[in-house]
Amino acid sequence: MKLYCLSGHPTLPCNVLKFKSTTIMLDCGLDTTSVLNFLPLPLVHSPRLSKLPGWVSKDGTINLEKELKECAGRVFVDSQPEFCLPERELLDLSNIDVILISNYHCMMALPYITEHTGFTGTVYATEPTLQIGRLLMEEVVNFMERVPKAQSATCWKNKEIQRMLPGPLKDAVDVWTWKRCYSMQEVNSALSKVQLVGYSQKVELFGAVQISPLSSGYSLGSSNWIIQSHHEKVSYVSGSSLLTTHPQPMDQSSLKNSDVLILTGLTQMPTANPDGMLGEFCSNLAMTIRAGGNVLVPCYSSGVIYDLLECLYQFIESANLGTTPFYFISPVANSSLEFSQIFAEWLCHNKQSKVYLPEPPFPHAELIQTNKLKHYPSIHGDFSSEFRQPCVVFTGHPSLRFGDVVHFMELWGKSGLNTIIFTEPDFSYLDALAPYQPLAMKCVYCPIDTRLNFHQVSKLLKEVQPLHVVCPEQYTQPPLTQSHRSDLMLELQPPPMPYRRCSVLNLPFRRRYERVYIMPELANSLVPSEIKPGISVATVSAVVHSKDNKHTLQSVPKPPPVAPSKKRKRVMDEPPVVLAPKPLLSGAVPLEAFLATLQKHGITEVKVEETADGHILHLQAEDTLIQLEEDGTHIVCDNNEPLRTTLRDLVLRFLQKL
Amino acid sequence: MDRECVSLLPRVCEVLAASGSSLPDDTSLEKLLDWFTALTKAEGSLLEACPCLLGFISTVVHNTALDPSILSFTLKLAGLVAVTEDGFKALQECSVLDLVFNLQRWQEAGLWEDPCIRIGWIQGLRAMLQHPKALSFFVQADFIQPLLQLQTDTSLFVASAANQMLAYVLVFCQSVSSVGCNGVDKKEDEDRSSHATTTDLEYPAVPMETNQDYTAVVTAILEYLKKSLVPKENTQLHQSVQILKVLALLLAQTRPPLWDKLLQTVVDSVEELLTADYSQLTLPLMDVILAAYSSCSADHRLPDQRVSRLLSFMLNIKKPADLIQAAAAFLRRGHHDRVHTAQSVRALLLPLDIITGLSLLDTNITDKERFSMVEQLKSKTSCISVICVCLTNTPQISLTAADCLPCPPALTVTAVLSLLRLCGGDSSSSSAGCSQVYTNVIGSGKVQKCALEALAALSGSPGVKVKLPEVFTLLIQYLDNPDSDPTVLHKSYQALVKWMTVCTDLSSITDHQKQDLVKVVRKRACDMRWEVRDSTVEFLGHLAGVNACQTSPGEVTDASEALLGGCCCTTPLFKEALQDPESYVRASAVSALAQTLAQSWQQGAAETQEQTEIVNRLLEILSEDTEGFARRAVVRYFIAWFSSRSSHSSPSPPTSSSLLMQSVRSVLSQGSADLDWEVKVHTLELAELLLDEAFSGHWGYVKGSDPHPVQPHPYAVISDQAYALHTHTGTHKEDVDSDLVGVLNSLVERGVISALLSGLVDCDRPVALKACRLLVTLRQTVCPRSLGALDATAAMATVARVTCELPGRGWALEIRKILAMRSQAKEADEEKSYNRADVVVSDDCGEAGEEAVGAECHTLPVSVCQVLRSLDLDERLDILTQSSDHVHNSPLSLLQDILTASAAHTRPNVQPGQEVIVDCY
Repeated sequence: MKLYCLSGHPTLPCNVLKFKSTTIMLDCGLDTTSVLNFLPLPLVHSPRLSKLPGWVSKDGTINLEKELKECAGRVFVDSQPEFCLPERELLDLSNIDVILISNYHCMMALPYITEHTGFTGTVYATEPTLQIGRLLMEEVVNFMERVPKAQSATCWKNKEIQRMLPGPLKDAVDVWTWKRCYSMQEVNSALSKVQLVGYSQKVELFGAVQISPLSSGYSLGSSNWIIQSHHEKVSYVSGSSLLTTHPQPMDQSSLKNSDVLILTGLTQMPTANPDGMLGEFCSNLAMTIRAGGNVLVPCYSSGVIYDLLECLYQFIESANLGTTPFYFISPVANSSLEFSQIFAEWLCHNKQSKVYLPEPPFPHAELIQTNKLKHYPSIHGDFSSEFRQPCVVFTGHPSLRFGDVVHFMELWGKSGLNTIIFTEPDFSYLDALAPYQPLAMKCVYCPIDTRLNFHQVSKLLKEVQPLHVVCPEQYTQPPLTQSHRSDLMLELQPPPMPYRRCSVLNLPFRRRYERVYIMPELANSLVPSEIKPGISVATVSAVVHSKDNKHTLQSVPKPPPVAPSKKRKRVMDEPPVVLAPKPLLSGAVPLEAFLATLQKHGITEVKVEETADGHILHLQAEDTLIQLEEDGTHIVCDNNEPLRTTLRDLVLRFLQKL
Repeated sequence: MDRECVSLLPRVCEVLAASGSSLPDDTSLEKLLDWFTALTKAEGSLLEACPCLLGFISTVVHNTALDPSILSFTLKLAGLVAVTEDGFKALQECSVLDLVFNLQRWQEAGLWEDPCIRIGWIQGLRAMLQHPKALSFFVQADFIQPLLQLQTDTSLFVASAANQMLAYVLVFCQSVSSVGCNGVDKKEDEDRSSHATTTDLEYPAVPMETNQDYTAVVTAILEYLKKSLVPKENTQLHQSVQILKVLALLLAQTRPPLWDKLLQTVVDSVEELLTADYSQLTLPLMDVILAAYSSCSADHRLPDQRVSRLLSFMLNIKKPADLIQAAAAFLRRGHHDRVHTAQSVRALLLPLDIITGLSLLDTNITDKERFSMVEQLKSKTSCISVICVCLTNTPQISLTAADCLPCPPALTVTAVLSLLRLCGGDSSSSSAGCSQVYTNVIGSGKVQKCALEALAALSGSPGVKVKLPEVFTLLIQYLDNPDSDPTVLHKSYQALVKWMTVCTDLSSITDHQKQDLVKVVRKRACDMRWEVRDSTVEFLGHLAGVNACQTSPGEVTDASEALLGGCCCTTPLFKEALQDPESYVRASAVSALAQTLAQSWQQGAAETQEQTEIVNRLLEILSEDTEGFARRAVVRYFIAWFSSRSSHSSPSPPTSSSLLMQSVRSVLSQGSADLDWEVKVHTLELAELLLDEAFSGHWGYVKGSDPHPVQPHPYAVISDQAYALHTHTGTHKEDVDSDLVGVLNSLVERGVISALLSGLVDCDRPVALKACRLLVTLRQTVCPRSLGALDATAAMATVARVTCELPGRGWALEIRKILAMRSQAKEADEEKSYNRADVVVSDDCGEAGEEAVGAECHTLPVSVCQVLRSLDLDERLDILTQSSDHVHNSPLSLLQDILTASAAHTRPNVQPGQEVIVDCY
């Protein structure tokens, strides 16, 4: 059993598991942090960005004025942003049988895998994962295609040149593999390969293994996966949460008794408690609005935003914010808000029960009804006519490199009254803000990451007791900036197996058993005999048939009637020679009784010698040795077949035959 | 005693003796006993007062089939009767006494199983043991053995009572026998009587043989204590705990020579227990040792050698958790014993030393001690509990003399700060600390709270002021931390205020730090959790009340001004808080505003537009707010404003206080019409201030409704602040006498009189009482009775012409009704004097009055003086002064209840009411 690790990002995993005869890809995360190296894509022409000076090396030898621009002491690539894909050279991706998706954030690389690698398999995901994943992909494609950039920067990727570049660009890895965003057509094609599954539904893969998604409590439709055969069980835990937010709670008990547990997607903010962050979010929001400023919340169009809106729904009253408008701007805003309301069966119990009242499960419906929350596909159109300040705007993309958020950054960045509140933990907020410097706007970082923290995960592992744990290497040591915090790492016994990008792990676990079925008629013919109380044994002669990874024992076919014509007779048709199987012997030879028997048969001169394993009898007159050992008896005599046969028969008298 | 009660008692006794099941409720017997106890105290002999009790006791005792609760009651009652020697004799003569306390009888009847019989037996004996005869009886009946057995009774109540009894018997023996002995000087005798629980009883000389009996008792008890103190096996620890409790009681109460004897008897066993290392016994053992130790120091004796040795032993035990407990217990007693204090302090500082890596202790701590403490701290739960014990005792540490401390107090502050940083997950500052240990406290709210309290307590230690900037920074970090829970934030605020109060010189705080504080306070004022918003607003108020000198030494300002820039920062926050959906926050905002504005009021600063806005909002709260807290706070705000203004400036300068005076009228009218009684009481306090001001200097006026000194409120806790507010200087010497009319007129005009009158007829007793007192004072001032209506001087005659208006609704109707009744009665009186035979004062004059009132719905002007005279204020005051349940709680009512309940019980068709079953034997 092997694990190929195609992504080094612990929360955007992409691993391939070879288990029995199947090749299973676990998640298909796209590392989008690479876009931070690019200039933002403004929706409206930005004089500031267009006037940025090009970059020329200090000695003037390298001139990349067209490709690289300097802003506030950092260099950015002026081209359409590119993403860092999962590794594609480590193994032949066309061999992948299935891809299991755990949540909609972990499927963004799907088109790159399914469309250009010869992939012919199936993708399994839950319905909300598929629908919301589609929305997120659509949104990204839309953001990119709205601001087409003819130019594609490639010179800077030249190894020789990259070495000379400043700052983070110099250290960026695998830049040659970075790719531009896919098209809508590719998205549709990729998603057409998705097969929907429900929680706890069991899917057979070629009869070899069975896969089953379990609720992971992180987002709508998010799942952990169980991959098991009859005797082995592998759990894949990715992006799980034990907090009570909107999704169905995590199913922990089904993870018990795993041989291997692959653990990814722990919280990226182990020291930031989501409740505290939510409080921070609300108080900073209220403080800004009271002072007459606007609040900008760069966020994804699904996920935490539902919880933020729910929290605000309660907070608006207590903070006297009843008249402040809340705007949600995204090409998929409407669908996202509406989808969340219809996936009732994927919600936590509390919200599910609302559906029967009937009431919308999320309170954002009421915010929309009372006109406190308005949503628009983009800043163009209706929004511009209804826009009222001070206000709160939720919009993407959290990287601040594309999407409507770029416009608001340009609009509000100059005033100290306004505040930008980061809630998504995926991007470093300082890097995200880098191309907007100098910035007067206040900036608050309260990342809300509801995924498991180290305390929760160690409790969980204590509960489910897997034999082996595999996890990204980041989880096996304290964070770099807090090297003393030994509580921020996984401490397990036996220690977890760490992996990094391009690792190939031999999972420390051997398959020892295989299930074999026996046909009824064959079973009928068996004659068990009891060798110990409660244990019966029978011999069986049969033919093993293996098909679809299922093994069946069938009766040995009778020799076919002799063919009328003997002319053409292929070797293969010859019936197997069926010999009566020799009986199996069991039992031990009692020394005293055996000697007595020998004496009866006239063998008197016996010298008994004790050995480590039994006895050696020296029949001195016959010059013959009998070795009596625990698991074998040998009769050594030279060219005296009758004697050997006699002795053999004497020995056999003491043994049971089967 | 009430004659009526005495007449009812025989019937009650009959009912009780017949059956106990028909009692009105199961507290009746306890109440009855309480009454008998009070009677005994007041009248001496119970039997003399209620002769029927003797018969009752003897009847009940013979009837073992009765309800055990009645039997238990009878046992206790018998004890009470036997308190006096006469009673004792009477019981003995009719041979009831032997029967009552005959343990074997109860056992044979199978009643001993019932814990209430056992407790009755103990308490009966305990009550009786007040004179040597009783003691003789006790000794001769050989009750000591059963009592010792009861000490480990399965019922906690019984065991505890037996324990107390044991201690009592010993102390009693000591006092009785010492009378018979010579060599007790008078002074010590007095000491003893105040010390021991037996008081005011004179003992006749005791014959020699009785004295021997006592000695036997004492010896028996001492033997028992010695024998049973050390447990034979672990299951007997319970017994040891009980005995240790007795010992602690005894060592605190007895005196030499018994004290010495006691100590001599048990000292070896105690030592044995100490070495045996039973963790469960640490605290009880410490109690015993400390009781012995304290009793030495209370008598100004030198600590006994043996006690000191035990104490040293205790403070050197090996188990760190026990050691910490013992050290904390010692420090809490506050003894001036250098050696042991220093030892305890070191024990308590050791965990802090280990966890923070700061060397708080000298090198005297052995590696072994350190190692075992580290082991203890490695487990999360014990680490947190040990650290919390250490921190909660830091105030004691800060109080100890410098030469007992292993390190300067400033270093302790540093350690607490460092610990607080560790709790927040920031351990870079103390890499020297043990990492296995400090991960245990990361994020622990309990440790944070204890540490913040300790930090606040340490603010007063000498030489810690230099730490102010560091403390300030840390507290701001805590306030800013998103993960701090509301209590932690609250404690941080408290600590900050505490440090600000102590360190008046804030020059060490940088502008940057101040800005941080402003930022964090603004953020917390918008917090999601109302508790946090509440503590923030409260903090701002407190800060405004703290004096600080910022720049030049002479210039004193308040800390809010110095740190936050004063009103321009805080007032907008308060204004928002006044709109808060949570009433507590609104209330806190009102109080905080009062604290913030107090200074400008005192200085008589001119009114601003903002102040007008605030006042309008406050009046809005008073009239519209649905919650009482906010409304109460508003009235208190005006009280504070009024009193701080009048204490500094001359009364009512028209310009500065016109806003105040305008609002006072609305406050009085709205406040007295409020639904909440506390708001009404506060409103009356405001009215009182107005009275005080109006009549200050007037010869007949007694301030603060003094004729009846301030009593605690019958059913409320009134903050000290409310009372503290009207301590006026009273220096004004205006010539008000001649202006009585003007003053009274202005009081009427401002609505003070209406407020008082409406309060008088209020259904809430505290309100009516307060109003009544104020009205009495007013009456004494404006129309003293001594002058009488006929003797009124000319001035008085004009005063009498001052009228107030009684509208035709609400409280005024009530007043009008009273007045109408009065005048009718008066008319009737007058008529009677003419025609005595014909006049019958009709019972329905109330209705007549109502009709009279109902006829005129418009406003009725009445003379203030006339009203004051006609309201029977003195009679009302008498009624109101009695507690509202005085009728319900009287013994008469109790006896009647018992009789009624039994009558109801005997009627077959009446279902007994649902009983509340309370475990109170």
